[in-house]
Amino acid sequence: MSKSAQELAKERQARIEAAMNLEVPDRVPLRGVGGDIIPAYAGITQQEFCYDYDKAIKAVEKFLKDFPFDWPSGSIPGLDGRVFSVAFSEFPEVAAGTTFISGPMHDVLGDKYYRFPGNETDVNATPQFVGGTFMEPDEYDELIEDPVKFVTEKVLPRACANLATPRQAMATWVKLGMEFNRFSAAGRQIGMISASLGYPSIRMGGAYAPLDIIGDFLRGITNTVLDIRRYPDKVKKATEALVEPIINYALSYKKLGMNLVMIPLHLNEYLSPKLYKEFYWPTLKEVILRLGKEGVKSWVFFEGHHEQHLETILELPKGWGVAYFEKTDVVKAKEVLKGHTCVVGGIPISLLVGGTHERIKEYVKNLLEQVKPGGGFILSPNIGTAPAETPLENLTALIEAVELYG
Amino acid sequence: MQEELFSRIVDMDEEGSIKLAKEYLEGGGDPQKLLETCRNAIGVIGEKFEKGEYFLSELILGGEIFTSIMEFTLPHIKEGETEKLGKIMLGTVKDDIHNIGKDIFKAFAEAAGFEVVDIGVDVPVETFVEKAKELKPDIIGMSCLITAGITSMKKTVEALKAACITDAKIIIGGGRVDEEVRQLAGADAWADDAARE
Repeated sequence: MSKSAQELAKERQARIEAAMNLEVPDRVPLRGVGGDIIPAYAGITQQEFCYDYDKAIKAVEKFLKDFPFDWPSGSIPGLDGRVFSVAFSEFPEVAAGTTFISGPMHDVLGDKYYRFPGNETDVNATPQFVGGTFMEPDEYDELIEDPVKFVTEKVLPRACANLATPRQAMATWVKLGMEFNRFSAAGRQIGMISASLGYPSIRMGGAYAPLDIIGDFLRGITNTVLDIRRYPDKVKKATEALVEPIINYALSYKKLGMNLVMIPLHLNEYLSPKLYKEFYWPTLKEVILRLGKEGVKSWVFFEGHHEQHLETILELPKGWGVAYFEKTDVVKAKEVLKGHTCVVGGIPISLLVGGTHERIKEYVKNLLEQVKPGGGFILSPNIGTAPAETPLENLTALIEAVELYG
Repeated sequence: MQEELFSRIVDMDEEGSIKLAKEYLEGGGDPQKLLETCRNAIGVIGEKFEKGEYFLSELILGGEIFTSIMEFTLPHIKEGETEKLGKIMLGTVKDDIHNIGKDIFKAFAEAAGFEVVDIGVDVPVETFVEKAKELKPDIIGMSCLITAGITSMKKTVEALKAACITDAKIIIGGGRVDEEVRQLAGADAWADDAARE
């Protein structure tokens, strides 16, 4: 290898930062896949990947060594823990530990939000978020009055078997704290391995759209969508009440030196432009703007189709952050957002699973011809989890294609 | 009345449409006619979704209104009086525990006049095959949300074909599904959101 790990990391970091800052990088940066493919490639089960951190770290290392994306996404699985982030929003030193709930944390909590392999599902199943309904519609007033109190005292004891009573909760929180330590230690170890392999360190904290807290963790997706019609004023007030705790917990990452937060969106795809602009966007926009004022940029994952809401992004100030799209056509998105927002995405995961070397190269060539000019674009699979059966030569094909046409 | 009810359902007036349907039945209205009106309204909601005028939230509410009205209407309709368009067997594939897409599809397929048998989530390949042999559906619907579902769908379709279950059309649906996945899985049709059939 001609370049040292440090030089390589610096080069990659500059490439990514240029794109994020709407400049033209030396070539289009490529964000990598992770998820199911990592344990499959290492020959361990999903259960081991989620629960045995030593095996998981080795699996990530093996994957990072053999598939050199500019910005890899190899990590030990954890699922969105944002309801716990809200609960701990007044304690930034704790809140940052709640971003992702790992398998062992899930076991400590005994929660109903997640399904982990070898536990509720097959040893080789992907860890999954399922959510649920842990709040009744007549409780909106309590949520609006004091969201942190309501989540802590009402929602969590219902959602987590091991928080059902105060005497159970005492031990559960202590055990959870121990798991936070183990998980962050494993994260640091992966960070050191990444650095030694020439990968940049771009750490991301988290924030959330207020309506998604209600949809994912309190009322469930279906009920939330119905509540918007049945109790519109209460839903709106509840989203407003959640802004403050979300900003508080998001700023806990800033204290740890992170100036980027990941915001994955869920109900965006469900809503018409009219409902989106009334119930979803105003409070999400406020979260992004307020974090921006604190020097924290947002990395928003617009899950599903977001075409119908694309123009609302232009209401944010130029350079507010990064828009990562799943099913929205990135060519169209780039047209609308060029010079304003860095666009991420473009590679359907199904192409990596079902495509061939030639087709992937052809696809990347065509896509980059359209989105590369002017910079401000990061190529990425449209979802970070590659299935276990993804042909490995297709990952290599993608990496080669970007080197060729990026 | 039928026109009024039709437009209330299409306009997402949950309370108003349920009240009107109840009044109509209590006043001696024809339950069969009521069912038809509801079905037509749901059909139009589906069309509006396809045209991009309606979104998933409208599908969920439309399905909810239909189910609520059917709760008090169906007991007035004798078994066998409504002709079914066919039988659909529906499930979320192995290792995927998500149900929202499947449930929306179910509501719309029932409203369209299909008999729908829901075989659940995280359904093993063997169960799909066994149930297909037992139920002899006209259509087999498979749903998935996570990317792992792509390969589960492929394995399930292969197993169905290996078991010579070839009469049923196979429709796959879900967040990560596209034409590429349809070809890979060997299904007959695909949709990435519940109402595009």
